Amino acid sequence: MTLENKTALVTGGRGGIGRAVVRRLLKEGATVYAADLTESGSLNAHDEDGSRFIKLDVTSESDAIDTAALIKKEQGKLDILVNAAGIEIEKTIEHTSLEEWNQSLAVNATGTFLTAKYTLQLLRDAAKDGTSSSIINFGSYDGFIADPGLAAYCASKGAVHALTRAMACDHGPEGIRVNAICPGYIDTPMLQSFFEGEGSGGQGGSIDSLQQAVRDVHPLKTYGTPEDVANLVYWLASDEARYASGQLWILDGGLSAQVQQMHI
Amino acid sequence: MTGKLSGKTALVTGGSSGIGRGILELFVAEGASVISCSRSACADDLSELCQFSQLDVADSSAVDAFADSIERIDILVNNAGVQVEKTVTQSTDADWDLVMGTNAKGVFNLCRAFIPKMITGGSIINIGSISGNVADPSMALYNASKAFVHGLTRSIAVDHGPSIRCNAVCPGWIETGMLDAGFDIAKEPTNAKQDALQRHPVGRFGKPADIASMALWLASEDSAFASGQLFTIDGGMSAASPLNPGLF
Repeated sequence: MTLENKTALVTGGRGGIGRAVVRRLLKEGATVYAADLTESGSLNAHDEDGSRFIKLDVTSESDAIDTAALIKKEQGKLDILVNAAGIEIEKTIEHTSLEEWNQSLAVNATGTFLTAKYTLQLLRDAAKDGTSSSIINFGSYDGFIADPGLAAYCASKGAVHALTRAMACDHGPEGIRVNAICPGYIDTPMLQSFFEGEGSGGQGGSIDSLQQAVRDVHPLKTYGTPEDVANLVYWLASDEARYASGQLWILDGGLSAQVQQMHI
Repeated sequence: MTGKLSGKTALVTGGSSGIGRGILELFVAEGASVISCSRSACADDLSELCQFSQLDVADSSAVDAFADSIERIDILVNNAGVQVEKTVTQSTDADWDLVMGTNAKGVFNLCRAFIPKMITGGSIINIGSISGNVADPSMALYNASKAFVHGLTRSIAVDHGPSIRCNAVCPGWIETGMLDAGFDIAKEPTNAKQDALQRHPVGRFGKPADIASMALWLASEDSAFASGQLFTIDGGMSAASPLNPGLF
């Protein structure tokens, strides 16, 4: 159990990827705060996993302040911050309302900013013993190359990528490592909603055949699981990753290593 | 044409067909005096456009002898390239020698021989590829050779500035014999071509003239502050994720 005596905060901690991250960090012995809008989160259910729930709207400055205050009071420091809260609006810019645009940026980019801003002192405090503390943001392979009809999402993830590098430069000297994980297709409620959504162009075809077609385009012939992502979060959170900072870690089953495929 | 290259001498390797031919014709139209070379003999109509030599760029002593015959150049376009459609385990030593010899060592040979001939500075334009950044399936040595070109481009820019600028153009799918060879091995070439077109936001494949336009810009003083960079010209293809068209 290599994360013993470490405290972690996972935003979106009741969502698809967040919940797997929470489970993994708990397994490694960390004290874990799972922050989300509701206790059941996007999976619409909650199993007791030993984490402590914090009701947090990442777009709310006062929520971020309260969250940091609670962790300060209970733990006095924060070793690991995982900014996993995220939303996806499946539209082109033409069909995206200003409200939807603002909400995408608010959750995916501003949420990362606010949570990190108000927990920064706790992360500094955790680094005082000589081991670094770790912030893990969630970018996306969509921050590099675009999927159709996901304009605000792609833009918000590009913002997270740049913010990750900026934070790594600014706070590395304080012992805080900052990285982003850029997942490709991961089997989560967000992905299923993408398959079923209006913009998906499921075009009358079955969801099963659509899912298989997406698997087939990956060199590894499958999309990922939340546990695959949690494995990388764990490594980046651990002291084994002590020299890793400022990087964007693409985890996509080889999807983005390819040129557009010629059908042969 | 506007004579953007008048008074300049340009060497374009592999100028007899495809992208090289497109660059050669545009440079001539813009007033450059053009020297070209290919492994094959001179195409009939090429000798009127340029000073042509038959040359294998992979042969360093032949390249050196070729350079001895030329007093100076201002622009070097390393375009000559070959592809072998194989994975690593299928590739033979002869495949390595052919692909790396032409695409990698050839660029090195030309740069080494002709940088000293760029007496008052100039512009080197290497033809890289989007395949040097991400992989085309069953093109292992080609992909690797183009990544070499990208790396060498940066080194030359760093080592031989400020008098010499060096950049690479990374074409996507351009309508040449090399693209046709790719479709020829598809099970259903017509469908494969239609599918490939749908992956291009601009709705068409590239033409040699599209790459020539970028090469002209890099050769001219309009690009005076551009060096050490890779410029992708692919009709938007590599901006999109590699999912099947029409899935979503």
